[in-house]
This record gives sequence, structure tokens and C-alpha cells, in this order.
Amino acid sequence: MSDLAAASSLVHARDGTRLKGQEGPRADAVQSIGARPIIMTVIAAFLVFVFLAPILLVIAVSFGEKIEGASWVWAFDPSNYARVFVGIGWPDQITLLYAYKLGYTLAYAVLGSLIAIAFAFPFTYFLSQCSRPAQAAWLVFILASLSMSEVFIVMGWDIMLSNRSGLPALFKATGVTAWLKDTGWLAVLKDWGLANPRNVKFKTSQLATVLTMAYLVWPYAVILLYAPLSRIDRSMIEAARTMGAGSFTVMRTVVVPVVRIPVMGTLLLLFVYLLGAYVTVTYFAEPAHQTLPVSIYEAIRGATLNAPFGAAQAVVLLSTAGVFILASLWLGRLAENRGR
Amino acid sequence: MKATFKNGFMLLCAAYISLPIVIVCLSALNGGRSMLFPPKDPTFARFYEFFVSEPVWLRSMENSIIVALASATLAVLITWPIAYDQWKRNTAFSKALTGLAGLPFALPPIVFGVGLSFLWTFAGGLGNIFTGILSHTALLAALPLVTISIGLQSIDRFHLDAAQTMGADEPTILRTIILPQTLSYTLSGFFFVVVLSFHEFIVIFFVSASAYSTVTLQIFNSLRNGFTPTMAVGAITFLLVSIVVFSAVARYGDLPRLLGADPARKDN
Repeated sequence: MSDLAAASSLVHARDGTRLKGQEGPRADAVQSIGARPIIMTVIAAFLVFVFLAPILLVIAVSFGEKIEGASWVWAFDPSNYARVFVGIGWPDQITLLYAYKLGYTLAYAVLGSLIAIAFAFPFTYFLSQCSRPAQAAWLVFILASLSMSEVFIVMGWDIMLSNRSGLPALFKATGVTAWLKDTGWLAVLKDWGLANPRNVKFKTSQLATVLTMAYLVWPYAVILLYAPLSRIDRSMIEAARTMGAGSFTVMRTVVVPVVRIPVMGTLLLLFVYLLGAYVTVTYFAEPAHQTLPVSIYEAIRGATLNAPFGAAQAVVLLSTAGVFILASLWLGRLAENRGR
Repeated sequence: MKATFKNGFMLLCAAYISLPIVIVCLSALNGGRSMLFPPKDPTFARFYEFFVSEPVWLRSMENSIIVALASATLAVLITWPIAYDQWKRNTAFSKALTGLAGLPFALPPIVFGVGLSFLWTFAGGLGNIFTGILSHTALLAALPLVTISIGLQSIDRFHLDAAQTMGADEPTILRTIILPQTLSYTLSGFFFVVVLSFHEFIVIFFVSASAYSTVTLQIFNSLRNGFTPTMAVGAITFLLVSIVVFSAVARYGDLPRLLGADPARKDN
């Protein structure tokens, strides 16, 4: 019911704006008795209800207590957090199952975002040197690939990596597999979990997980780097060139120092985004190497059904993200101060 | 030589990005039930299945469209006054609202999805498509907020001063100058939400509670039987929508400017 109330008040808010616009003097009167405060209050209430309340609820529920064989009750029980870090049997015994999951979450996200930036940075730098219409065309391409759902991307990579019709089949058909066998590399790949006795295999593997994650955020990296890179003062680059600096020197002494802070900020945002990757991990990582989002899902909606524990894991993920977002804000402020 | 390297690198990146997408699209042509590449017995029968003979896909397509359009409309209606207030008055209150409106987009989506599933469990409406709409509104409101703010900042101050000198009051200025000049930015924000809502998975996964499904959900739910070529038709449809929408944004709005390029530098 309360959502209906929120929606109907929104409709009123909208009417208010229209009144302001369309009916000259009367709208003025309406405004003087305070249409603006009413609209803004309604919007603020809506924001608090739908934007803020979910986050507060996750925190509140994470302290709840699970009742065996039933649902859960409100409580102030920090044991869910203890379970995330040191396991349910603490202090008698320590299980690091969920700590490992957090570790995998962080590792995948760090590697994925680093790889994405490594390729997106030169691409975006070149993009910013293209003509304006060419830039617009490239941006349409990037945005279209950026909006592709994780589900579709996983579908594409699944075909590319699958044993029957993907890279392994290609390797076999072109004789790469035979060559790998002869040179002994297949055994090495097997040790890395990237091959079975007959052929290479990429599903399931950590390599596939990380590469798909990097792919997932690559377009985001381009979009985020586009603004700082396209605002670099060209005359500085030209001045350096005139004075005899090569491309590499220009990159090292002019471009990188200017965009170092936005690049760090971008890296952090990609990292935070990847912390929550779900489909990729369920599909490409084997169960022993899966991440917190997967076990959050299982606790909230899936097999284990323990909402408070799921919420506690979500809060751990959120705090991790929060620390990094604060760091990126701080970096942004640093950049602003330096700009003055 | 340098230009060749540059173009080569960019094309290589483009190829890398397109590869999985192209493969998904071509797999839609498979004659059998399994996703093979290159496609076996190419046929367009899957398109017929998706759009005509298997109602489950049409129904989820309908849900996707309803959620996307409704949440985009709501998001624009909410963020317009926020952006306007922030631009016009820049008070502590308006700053707080702006921050709050952008908050969900900056969090890992799964955390926000979990929170929303709690919210709708307590408030009622979990599994109702209406709460799905509100959830996407909250998740994606940051996008129109940003585009509208950029639009407001790009209004020529001279126009505002001139109108004021000639005696126009705030509502008149809003109607005759501000709304028309920010229209393309507002529409861009709207379409960003439409496209991202179309493709969004994890939040709608939590709040739908399996009571209804959008196309992305339907695909994920059918995964147990593996990917099938019919799903690839869904991917193609969505991809086409994205390309059409973003091309329109690029055509009618200034896409480089929207994404933060320097407005003064028109070409180089």
C-alpha cells in the first residue's frame, strides 16, 4: 500500500510542476504558498523510502537471528559477522570458508578491473584524438556493448569457451592441441586447471571468470576514462612534441600525470561494480572458487535460506565497496584541489 | 605507421568486444536445439518461436518493456525537480537529495537488490511488477540525474538574463527556455534508463521473487537446460534496441558532451 501512496504523491508532484509551467499568474500564487517545498518534500520522502531504506534494512536484518527450521527474528546479534570472518564454530574452531569467498570476490574484482583498464586506457586515448563524428560513432558502439546484459555476455563467452564448439574445438581442429601435447604444455595447463587429459578446457576456470569480468567492465572503463582523456589540453602535448619528445615520453610526462587520479577513480568504480558480479561467477567459477554474491543469493533466496546471514555478507560486501568509494571521492577531491 | 598502429589497436579492441556478441547473434540461426558455432542447418525458425509460437518469451518481453518504460518515466519525473533545484538554488538540502538519488547506482547492485527484496517483503508487493518498476527507478535514477544536470549547465546564461530583463517570471522561463533547451538531455537520460533496465538482471531477480520474468530473467531461469538458440533471438532484439536508441541519442543530442568531453572543442 505504501508504494501506492508514494506513487500517487509522485503524480501530484508532477501535476505541481506542470501547474508551475502552464498557468502563469495562478501558478505563481500556488508557488508562493509553497508548491516547491511540497514537491521537494514528497520527492525526499520517496528517496528515503525506496533509495535509502533498502540499504538501512540490509544493515538492520544482518543483526537478526535465524531460528532453526523457521524464519528469523529481529535481534542484536553480531554472530552473523563472526561467521563471515571466522566461521560458525568460533571461538572453538575457525572456518575460513566465507573469508575465502571474500578473498575470491576481491581477487576477481581487482584482476578484472586492472585488465579492463590496461586495455581501455590506450583505446580511449586514441578515441579522444579521433574527429568528433567518429567519436560519436565509437561511443554508440561502446554504449551498445556496455548495455549488454551480463546474461547475454556470459552466453557469448559460454559458446566461445565451450568444449564442443568453442576455442577447445578450434584448438583441436587446428592441431594446437596435438602440439601442446607433444611439447608437454598440456600437462602444465592441466596443473593450472585449464586442461583435461584430452584437450584444453576453459570452463570452469578462474581464467574464464576473470576474463569475462574484464570484458564486462571494459566498456565502462572507456566511458569513465573518456571525459578526463578528452579534456587533456592538446597544446601541452603539441608543445612537448615540438620540443622533441617522443610519443612514449609525452605519455609518461604529460598524459599520465594529468589523468593519474581519474584513472585511479575509474579503477575503483570498476572494482566496486565487479564485487557484485553474479552470473559470471555462477557460470564460470567452480563451486569451491565462488564468491560472496553467490552465497548471498543462496542465503536470501536459494538453498540455505538464512536472511540475516545473507544480509551480513551483503554488509561486508557493502563496507568493502564503501571504503573504496570513499577512497575514490577523496582522490577526486585531491584532483580538484590540485586543479586550482 | 603510428596511425596504423592506432587504428589497428582500436579495431582489435572492437573485434574483441564484438566477438561474443556476434557469436550469440549467429547462434540464433541454429537449426537444432543446441548452441553451436558455426551454426548448424541455419534457419530463421527461432525468430518465429521467440516472437510467435512460444508465448513465454512474448510475455517476458512485455514485462521487460513495461518495467523499462515505466521506470524510465518515473526516474525522469523524480530527478528533474532534484536536478533543477540543485542547479537553481544549490542548497544543502538539494545537495543531499542529489547524493541520495545517485547512491543506489554506486553500490554493488546485489546489495541494493537484497535490500529491496527486504523492503518489499515488509512493505508488501514483493513479486508485483509495480515494485519491480520502483526498484529499477531507484537503481537507475542516477543516469537522468546526470544528463539533466549537464543539460541545465549547458543553458546559455544570456538567454536567462534576457528573459528576466524582459519581465519573464520563473515559471515562464522554465517553460519557454529551460524545458526546451534541456529536452534532448532529458530524453537521453530517459533512454539510458530504458536500455539499462532492459538488460538489468540482479535487482529484478531479487524483487520479482519468480512471480514474473523479464527476458533476461527468463533466459537465466532457462539456463538449467542450457543456452538455446531461441534465447539468442532475445539477445539480438535487445542489442538492436540499444543500437537504435543510442544512435538516436547521438543523432539528436551531443553524445560526446553527454559523456563529459570538453564542450568548447568541437573538432580537432
